[in-house]
Amino acid sequence: MTKPPAVALDHVSKWYGQVIGINDISIAIDGGVTGILGMNGAGKSTLFKLLMGRIRPSKGSVRLFGTNPWDSTAPYRRIGYVSESERMYDWMTSIDFVSTLARLHGMTRSEAEFRAEQALSFVDLGDVLNKEIGKYSKGMRQRVKIAAALVHDPDLLILDEPLHGCDPLARTSIMNVIREMGSRGKTVLLSSHILEEIERITEQIVILHAGRLVALGNLHAIRAMLDKHPHRILIHCEDARALASSFIDKQPVYGVRFLDNERLEIMTKDLSEAHSILPALILESGVPIHSIENPDDNLESLLGYLVGDSR
Amino acid sequence: MNRKDQIDSQGRRLSATVWTALDRKAGAIIELTVRQLKNKTSTWTVMGVSALLLTLLSAFYIDSVREGFESIDNDGDSVDFDGDGYPLGQEMKYGSSDYDEREYPGAAIFIPEDQINYWGIRTHSGNYTWDVYGPSKFTGSWENISSNYAEYGDECPEIIGEDLANTPYGYSSFACTLADNSVYVQFLRFDGNGTLAVAEGWNAEYGRTTESYYVAPDPPSAYIDEDGLDWDSENPSQSQGFDDDGDCTQEGYYLPTGSQNDDDNRNGVPCDVQWIRGPDGSVLQINPDYLVDEDPVDSELLGESSHRSFIIATGKIAFAMIIGIFMPLFLALGLIRDESENGTLHYLLSKPIHRGEFIVYRLSGYLIFTGGFVLAMSLIMAAVTVTLGPDGNRLGDINVWFGIGVVTVLSLAAYGSIFNAMGLASPKYGVYFALVYGVYEFAMAVMTLFGADLVPIISVSHWSLQMIDAIVILAWPDTIMLAQMATAFNLESGLAFFWNPPLHTFGTGSSALAMGLSVVVLLAFITLPVLIGQSIFNRREID
Repeated sequence: MTKPPAVALDHVSKWYGQVIGINDISIAIDGGVTGILGMNGAGKSTLFKLLMGRIRPSKGSVRLFGTNPWDSTAPYRRIGYVSESERMYDWMTSIDFVSTLARLHGMTRSEAEFRAEQALSFVDLGDVLNKEIGKYSKGMRQRVKIAAALVHDPDLLILDEPLHGCDPLARTSIMNVIREMGSRGKTVLLSSHILEEIERITEQIVILHAGRLVALGNLHAIRAMLDKHPHRILIHCEDARALASSFIDKQPVYGVRFLDNERLEIMTKDLSEAHSILPALILESGVPIHSIENPDDNLESLLGYLVGDSR
Repeated sequence: MNRKDQIDSQGRRLSATVWTALDRKAGAIIELTVRQLKNKTSTWTVMGVSALLLTLLSAFYIDSVREGFESIDNDGDSVDFDGDGYPLGQEMKYGSSDYDEREYPGAAIFIPEDQINYWGIRTHSGNYTWDVYGPSKFTGSWENISSNYAEYGDECPEIIGEDLANTPYGYSSFACTLADNSVYVQFLRFDGNGTLAVAEGWNAEYGRTTESYYVAPDPPSAYIDEDGLDWDSENPSQSQGFDDDGDCTQEGYYLPTGSQNDDDNRNGVPCDVQWIRGPDGSVLQINPDYLVDEDPVDSELLGESSHRSFIIATGKIAFAMIIGIFMPLFLALGLIRDESENGTLHYLLSKPIHRGEFIVYRLSGYLIFTGGFVLAMSLIMAAVTVTLGPDGNRLGDINVWFGIGVVTVLSLAAYGSIFNAMGLASPKYGVYFALVYGVYEFAMAVMTLFGADLVPIISVSHWSLQMIDAIVILAWPDTIMLAQMATAFNLESGLAFFWNPPLHTFGTGSSALAMGLSVVVLLAFITLPVLIGQSIFNRREID
C-alpha cells in the first residue's frame, strides 16, 4: 500500500452562501516546502482552514495523511499550524504557551517544557522564553507561534502568512527556520501574497486566484513561461540616454523609454535573456548604475499574465 | 523499577497509554482554563461579591449569637394584664381574674350564693355581699360601698325615678342617696344588710366575700421559659411532653381541678403532647394539649432552630441561588465562545484534541476553580457556625455545610454546561438567553422555597434546594422535629419556612432516596447540555 500524501485535495470547493472561497481545487503535496501564493481573498486562508478541519468542504474531499481532518483529530498529531491570527495569550510567557500546547499532544509537563525550550531556542527566542508574550515584538510573537507549531516535531507544517508584518531580521530568521524544516524532509506549506518572500524560500509554488488554482509547480518554470511575455526592466542610473544607446538593437530588447534623465525603462519579451546580457552592456557603457528593478516581477503582474483579461 | 518503566499487560509503558495521554491533555486544558479565569477581572469581581455577601451574612449571624437568644414569653403568662402587680401565670394559679385589678391572688373573693333573676323575684333581703349589674335600690340598716364611687353620699339627681328606669351614668359603677335615704346603685359590688330591689330587665347576685390575705407577687421572669419542651428520644412513644409549669394539670392550684379541657389532642392522656410518626420513625405531626410545653427554653430550642435556619437559608439563598446562578453566568458563558471571539481557539483546536473532549475539559477547569472557591467558602462558614453555634455536638453543621458546598458545585456544573451551551448555540445572543434563563431559575427557586412541587421540577434550582433539604435531615435527623415544634408551639425561628421535608420521595418519606433522585436529576442537567454543546460545537465551522 502506498503511503498517502501529506496533503490531498480532490475537487474541493467551499462557498459561503453566494461567495466562493475555494473553487474545485485538486492538489496533492508531499515533502518539501510549498508556497501558496495569492492576493488577499484568493482563498489561501480558506484552504488552510479546510486543512485544519476548522471548516468543512462544500464539495470534494480533504485528506491529511489519508484522513479527513473534519472528522478526525488524528492528523493533528503530525501537523504544526501557524495561523494568520495575531491574537495570543498575552499574559503567558512563551515557555508557558508553547509547553501548554505541547501538553495537548500528550506530553508530560517536564517533557513539554523541555521540548518547548528546544523549539523556542530553534526560533532564536531561547533568551527571552520567560518573558510575557504581551511584551514581545510582532516578529517575536510570530516566532513563538512557529515554536508552538514545531514543538511536537510535526511531519507537516502549515504556516498562514508567517512573514506578515515582520521586520527584515525576523523575516530572515523565520525563512531560515522554514528552509531548515524543508531540508529535514518535512512537508511545509506556507502562504503569502508577496512573490519575493516565497521565492527566497522555495521554488515549488501553488498560485490561487479568486478561489481557483491558476498555477502549480516550479516557480522558475512558471517564470520561464511568463518570460516570453513583455516585461519591463527599470534602471536607475546617472545618464539614462547614454545607457539607452547601448541597448538599442540588442536582442531581446525591443524598446526603451525615458521616464526622466536618470530613469530608463527597457522592454523585453525574454526576461532571463535580457538579464543575462544586461551586466556586459552596462559595463560597456560605463554609466554608473544605482539600481535595477523588475516592476513586472511581482505577484500582481504574474497573475495578470496567468489569468489574462479575466482579472 | 520506577513507575515510569512499568509495563502494562499489553506491553505498553504505563506512562504512555492512551489514558495517561488523555490525562495530560485534560490537565493542560484544565490548567489553562484555571489560569485564564484567574486572569479575568470578572472572576475576582464575582468572587469578591460572593465573599462579601457571605461575610455580611456571617456578621448578622455573629451579631445575633453575641446578643444571645433572649428568652421570650411564648405563652404570654408573665404579663400583668390588669395591672394588679401579679403576672397572669400567678393569677391563673389562684384563679383570680387577669382583667380585674380588684381580683388578685389573696384578694377577698366574692362567692355567689344566688341571684335576683331577670324573671324571678325582684327583691331579696339579708346580710350579703351584693353584686349589682343594673339600676337597683338598696334599703338597709347598714351598707359599705367603696369610697372610690365618689357619688355615694350625694343626693341622686331627680332624673332617677321610682321605677329606676333611667341609668344616668350609663354602664359605669355608681351610687347615690335617694330622697327616702335608700341608696341607688348600679354596676358595683358592696356589703350590706337590707333589701335590694332590682329594676326590670336587670339582675344582681348576692353571696359572701372571703377574707383577704397577702400573697407575694412572683417576678414575671418566673413565667418565662417555665414549660420547656420534653422530648425523650430514648422512648419514642406517641405520648411525649410534660406540663412542667402545671398550668394544664393545675395541680397545686387554688381552684377546683378539671375546670378546663386537658386533652385537646384526644389521645386519652391529659396534659401531654402527641407525636405522630411515619413508618420510618420520622415525626409527621406534633399535637400538644392546651398549655403543655408551650413555653420552651428559648436559648435551647429557638437557639438551635435559628442556628439551623441560618445555615439552611444561607445554603439555599446565598450558595445555591445566588452564587450557584450568577457565578456561572459570568464565568461559564464564555468558556469557549470567548476563545472563539478572541481568535485564540485555533491554538487549542489545531492540536489532537476532539472538540467534544475540549468542552468537557474546559468545563472541568471552570468547575475546579469555582467549585474550589465554593467548597472553601462553605468550610469557612462551617468553621464560623461550629465555633459560635449553640453548645452541643456540632458535627452535623460540618456535614450540612459540606453538603451545601457539594450541591452548589453540582449547580455550578449544571448552569456552567447550560450557559456554555447557550454561548455556543448563539455567540451573539447567548448572553441574553442566559440572563432570561437565570431569572427563570431564580423564580423556580423562589417557588420551591414556598413549597411548590410540580411547576419548578424542570429547573436546576428546584433539585438543588431539594437536595439541601434532604442533606439537612440526613445530617440533623431531628430537624423535622424542631420544625414541627416551632410550628406546634408558634415559635418564629424561620426553620419551618426555610426547610421542608424533601418532596420527591415516591411516598416513602426516605430522605436518602430524595437525595439520590436530586443527584441523578442534577447529573442529567449537567450531561444533557454538555452533549448538546458538543453536538453544536462539532458541527460549528470556526472561521
